[in-house]
Amino acid sequence: MKRAHRKMHLVLWLLLAPAVFAIVMLAVMYRPADPVNDLLPDLLIEEAS
Amino acid sequence: MSHDYKAVQWTPFKKRFDLWMLGGIAGYLVVFVAVSLASPPAGEAFTPIQILMRATGTLAFLMLTFILCIGPLARLTDRFKPFLYNRRHLGVATFIIALIHAALVLLWYHGFSDVNPLVSLFVSNPRYDSLAGFPFESLGFVALLIMFLMAATSHDFYNANLGPGLWKALHMGVYIAYGLLVAHIALGAIQFEKNPLYVTALCAGSLSVAGLHVFTGLASLRPANRAVLEGWLKVADIAEMQDSRAKIVRPVSGEAIAVFLDGDQVSAVSNICRHQGGPLGEGKIVDGCITCPWHGFQYRMEDGQSPPPFTEKIATYETRIVDGTVYVNPQPNAPGTPQAPSPIGADA
Repeated sequence: MKRAHRKMHLVLWLLLAPAVFAIVMLAVMYRPADPVNDLLPDLLIEEAS
Repeated sequence: MSHDYKAVQWTPFKKRFDLWMLGGIAGYLVVFVAVSLASPPAGEAFTPIQILMRATGTLAFLMLTFILCIGPLARLTDRFKPFLYNRRHLGVATFIIALIHAALVLLWYHGFSDVNPLVSLFVSNPRYDSLAGFPFESLGFVALLIMFLMAATSHDFYNANLGPGLWKALHMGVYIAYGLLVAHIALGAIQFEKNPLYVTALCAGSLSVAGLHVFTGLASLRPANRAVLEGWLKVADIAEMQDSRAKIVRPVSGEAIAVFLDGDQVSAVSNICRHQGGPLGEGKIVDGCITCPWHGFQYRMEDGQSPPPFTEKIATYETRIVDGTVYVNPQPNAPGTPQAPSPIGADA
């Protein structure tokens, strides 16, 4: 990799890494204690219950 | 736009690799579907299409995570260098898996209304100001568009016509796609999947990719400042060098230099392959030629020229061995200039 690409690569990851870390941590912290998949059609949920 | 380009040739290794890759993909999907059907989460029931959605989604994430780990891991250990040769095929396969995942989602969740499925994807959930209810599907869609751009230009035709510099810069977009993919999963599956494996895979995968890239990126910027001979750079002691392999030296200015040990002599060339800017110093000497770890482009040790009929040339450098230590002159010769190697045992 050329020096310019190496620097661009590093700068990109120095920006991206904290963003990735933050979004993952936020998602885990705010994860519902009992996750419910509300994308499932109600009928299927009722049927399973 | 010129049509003059040289496609990377298929080799038995590439064919074997692709067979293993396809077998692995099929195996993962079969096992995922079988396990999901056999043991559904308590209180939930999934249709086969929904299970396939999860199988392709998780597989695409795991494959892209692995692909993005290959580069930095290959810098840390030789074990991952064979994967560099086939990263392109892995990337295209990942895009196809992600495309299947997206098609299933569009069909299942947005395909049964009067609204165009693509419009429905962006407007059916307008909670863009919510963390838990964010319309995460839109993030995945944008990531898929970027991956399409990468997959569509993953051919030597585009590399030759865009130029290695622009091509490489364009393909760094995959990092943005990965960031969007992580957000897509974090705000999507992590919020409603009961299985803790989703959280574990996301945390381990994304943090590994980010950590490896930052670590190896910082390490690669360290300049070689151990000049002993005036204006020359110390490479390594001969005993530290591995036959047919290189040590990479990074001058304060200019491009990195790959210094190879070939039997009882030492030669130095530019570390940058003319094909796609691959790191030649991470390759090895095959049939007397320096071979790029990315796509197998070759250069002669003695003059940095590709063997006929190829015409690529890279810069050569003067080397010297003093008291068992290898040095290199960081001033490059013009690409393709013959440069006598330094024989071991004839210290200056």
